[in-house]
Amino acid sequence: MVWATRKSGTDTRSPALGEHPATVPAGASNAGLDSELGAAEFDALLNAAIDGIMVIDEQGLIVRVNRSAESMLGYSAEQLLGRSLNMIMSDEDAGRHDNYVGQYLRTGRRRIIGIGREVLARRKDGSVFPVSLSVGEVRLKGEIRFVGLMRDLTAEKQAEEEALHHREEMMHVSRLTTMGEMAAAMAHEINQPLSAIATYTAACLRLIARDESNITEVVSALESINAQAHRAGEVIRRIRSFTRSRELSRRPVTITSLIEEIRPLAELDAKASSIRLDFSLDPSLPEIVADVVQIQQVVLNLIRNGVDAIRESPAERRKLLLEATVGTDSQLRIAITDQGPGIDESLRDRLFTPFFTTKSTGMGMGLAISRSIITAHGGTLDFRNNVDGGATFWFTLPIHPEE
Amino acid sequence: MNELSTVFVVDDDQAVRDSLGLLLKSVGINSRLFDSAQALIDAYDPDWRGCVVLDIRMPGMSGMELQQQLIELHCALPVIFITGHGDVPMAVDAMQKGAFDFIQKPFRDQELLDRINQAINLDAAQRSEEEQQRAVGERYETLTPREREVMECVVRGLANKVIAMDLELSQRTVEIHRARVMEKMHARSLAELVRMSLMIEGTAGSRA
Repeated sequence: MVWATRKSGTDTRSPALGEHPATVPAGASNAGLDSELGAAEFDALLNAAIDGIMVIDEQGLIVRVNRSAESMLGYSAEQLLGRSLNMIMSDEDAGRHDNYVGQYLRTGRRRIIGIGREVLARRKDGSVFPVSLSVGEVRLKGEIRFVGLMRDLTAEKQAEEEALHHREEMMHVSRLTTMGEMAAAMAHEINQPLSAIATYTAACLRLIARDESNITEVVSALESINAQAHRAGEVIRRIRSFTRSRELSRRPVTITSLIEEIRPLAELDAKASSIRLDFSLDPSLPEIVADVVQIQQVVLNLIRNGVDAIRESPAERRKLLLEATVGTDSQLRIAITDQGPGIDESLRDRLFTPFFTTKSTGMGMGLAISRSIITAHGGTLDFRNNVDGGATFWFTLPIHPEE
Repeated sequence: MNELSTVFVVDDDQAVRDSLGLLLKSVGINSRLFDSAQALIDAYDPDWRGCVVLDIRMPGMSGMELQQQLIELHCALPVIFITGHGDVPMAVDAMQKGAFDFIQKPFRDQELLDRINQAINLDAAQRSEEEQQRAVGERYETLTPREREVMECVVRGLANKVIAMDLELSQRTVEIHRARVMEKMHARSLAELVRMSLMIEGTAGSRA
C-alpha cells in the first residue's frame, strides 16, 4: 500500500489499479492513445501492468488482454480473444455479470460498470480464485468498449483467512486451557452423579434383599439413578460444546440464556473452592448479537479469575456476583464482582497484554483474549477496584436493535 | 447397632445426600440429612450420638471449616470425610485435625458402611466411658473429706496399719472408712477402685 496525494493536497490511499475506473468520454485527451504512442508502445504499457487487463466489446467478447491476465488465467491471448468474458468467470458470477452488462446497456444502471467488485474468476484448469474486478467504460469512435482490471486476491484472502484461523485457534486453545484449569472441578462434577448412582444401586440391592416389600422406595431410587446418569451426560455435553473447535458465528441471543448455559460449569468451578456464586440476571434483558461460545468464554474466564482471586479469602468473603444490566448508554453491561484483595493499579496497563499473568499457572492469555473478543463485538472490557475491597471486571455489548 | 445412633450426613448435592440416606436406611441405620454445614451447626445438639459424614467440598462453609466449628463446640462425634479425587492433601489435613477417617468418591457401599459402623461404635464407647466417668465422679462427690483421704491412701496400696498411722486414726476407724468408700463407690475390688480413681484423675486433668 502506498500513499498518493490528490490534487487538492489531501492524502488518500492509492486505489489499486482500476478500483475506481472512470468512464472516459470519447474525444478526451487520451482518446487517441494508439496513434500517439504507437501500438507497440501501448502493448508494452499494458503488459507491464501487474493487474490483468482485458478490453471487452459491447457483446461481452474479449478483444484485448495483457500478459498478466494471460498468466493469471492460464490461457494464451489467442485462446481468449473473441471469447465471452464468462469463460473466465465462475458459473455463478458469469450469469450475474451478463445481467449487469445487459442491464447497463439497457438502462444505464451501474451494477459493475464504474464500480469495483469482488468476483470469482476461473482459470483454464477450472480452478476458481477470488479477484477484484473493476470495469470501466470507454467510448471510442462511436463504439463502446469496457476495460476490465483484474487483481488476484488469492494471497490477500489467504492471509485474511489465516489471521482469522489463527485467532480462532488461539481462542480454542484458551478455551481448552480454561477447561484444563477446571478439570478437577469437572471430574468432581461427573463423580457426583456416579457416586450417587453407585450408592442408590447399592441401597436398592440391600432393600430388595430384605424381605419387606419396599418396591416404592426402589422405584423412586431407580428414577433418581436415571436422572443422575443424564446429569453426568449433560456435564460432558457442556464441556464438549464449549471446547470443540468451531467456526465463528454470530446470532441474536439473550445474555440470560447465554449465561444460563455455562452456569453449571461456572458453579462447579466456584464450588470446588467453596465459593458462593450468585447470578443477578433479569430474564427481560434485551437481545445482543454475539458469538455465543466466545462470550461464554469471556464470562467463564472472568469468573475463573474471580475464583482465583478469593480462593484464599475467609469464608464470608468467598463470594462472587455476576450481574447483567442495561447501562445508561443503552449498552448491555455484565459485571463480575469479587471480594478479593483487588488489583494493584500499577498493573492496570499490563493486565490486558498477552502472556502477562500473576498466577503461577496459566498462560496469561485470558484477559487479552477476552478483551479482543469484546472489542470485536463492539463492546468494552475493563475493571475497577471497589471501595469495600475486591474488584469488578465488567464488559459491555451493544444491544441488538429491534426489528 | 445402637438404637440411639444417627448418622448426620452433610452434602450439598441432593442426589448424593439422598442416596446416602437410602443406603443407611437399607441397613437400618437412622440418618439425618443436611444440605449445608451451616444447617448442621444450626441444628446441633450436644446429645447427638452416632457420627458425621461430611463432603469435604461445599459452597459456603467447607467440610474442613465445619470440622473446626464442631471442635469448638466440643463435639466428640467422629467425622468421616467424603472426598473427591484430588482432595487427598485436604483429607490428610482433616485427619491431622482429628477426623475419624476419609473415604474417596466413588466408594464401595460396604466400605463406607464399615467405617460408619466403626465410627458409631467408637462414639458409643466414648459415650459409655464418659457416662461411667460421670457416674464415678458423682459417687466420688458423696465421699466425706476423710473418706477421700482414706481412698487416696488405699489406691496407693498402703496397708490399713500404715494409713492409720499416717492419718492418726485407729486401725478400726480406717477399716470402717475403707468399707464405706468401697460401698459408696460401688467398687467390688481394690483393682476396680484403682481404675475409678484413675478415671477421676483423668477428668480432673482434662478439666484443668
